[in-house]
Amino acid sequence: MSRRRKRRRVQGDVVLNLAAMLDMAFQLLAFFILTFKPSPIEGQINLNLPPPVPIKPETPQELKNENESDEMGVSAAKTLTITIAARPNGDVASLRVALAEPIPGPFDENKRRQLDRHLKQVFAIEGAPFDQVLLRIGKTLSYGELMKIIDVCTRQKMADGTPVNKISFVELEEK
Amino acid sequence: MSAALHSEDQADPNLTPILDMVFQLITFFMLVINFKAASLDMSLKLPVIGSARPVDTHGNEELLVLNVNQQGEIIIYGSVRDAESYLAREAELARAKLKAKGEKVAPGGELPIMVVVRADQSTPFELLNKVLTDCQKNGFRKFALRAMNREKEARS
Repeated sequence: MSRRRKRRRVQGDVVLNLAAMLDMAFQLLAFFILTFKPSPIEGQINLNLPPPVPIKPETPQELKNENESDEMGVSAAKTLTITIAARPNGDVASLRVALAEPIPGPFDENKRRQLDRHLKQVFAIEGAPFDQVLLRIGKTLSYGELMKIIDVCTRQKMADGTPVNKISFVELEEK
Repeated sequence: MSAALHSEDQADPNLTPILDMVFQLITFFMLVINFKAASLDMSLKLPVIGSARPVDTHGNEELLVLNVNQQGEIIIYGSVRDAESYLAREAELARAKLKAKGEKVAPGGELPIMVVVRADQSTPFELLNKVLTDCQKNGFRKFALRAMNREKEARS
């Protein structure tokens, strides 16, 4: 058997030099290892934002009218307005849901729970009075604080069980 | 000297298994390489939100990634761009692409592109809203606001 093998190798076998191919393969491998950078998994909140609409100065009477009139572009009658005033450092100064008592800032875990409870009560009302949320936001509010509030809003469900995902933003005019 | 090297004592290792293994590693790295990561600016510190979940569009939806820094500037592949002109050009290109496909989009009409906003957590709303308004003016309506859902990942 071994004699036959030896004879075949001598007569017909082609011995390839794999060293060059291995060199090239190692170079490719080195390139991929050096350029490999696993990116962190990012989450996202999907929103369908309508075009911007003009906003009037904020007074309780005007806010009431705004919630009742159909003249605004974002079907104001079914819009729950949340007004967020901001501090110069980007924190929440105060937060008010429609005409309810304002929640003072900063927006910590307790305030988050308070807002969550309040919104749950509002959206649980039978007959679904609101189908979207309008955030009136102070100019200096940071994106991080804004996302915390959006997070609370997107966790809500309306009386029929559909999640709240119609959220729009407008800039709060500061006096 | 040369004759001594080619003597019968010379080792002749079988390189086939190592080559197999190296090719398997190359295949692995080729499959996991992610060119989309190049469009993400990793210097931005995204906010941490519990409900933010990764969404896979299965490639059905075209994405436009906008990295917004603390100054409200948009960063595309590492270079700062003017938001207004960049978005106008992207919208124009998208409309031309749709027109070539035979789909009609009215000027200012909704574009079937999702704008992925990756803003730094300390970006003021005023600056962010300017970018969003520019997007809306150009016909972008669908937005995805990016965030980390774990503190650990946000720090890295």
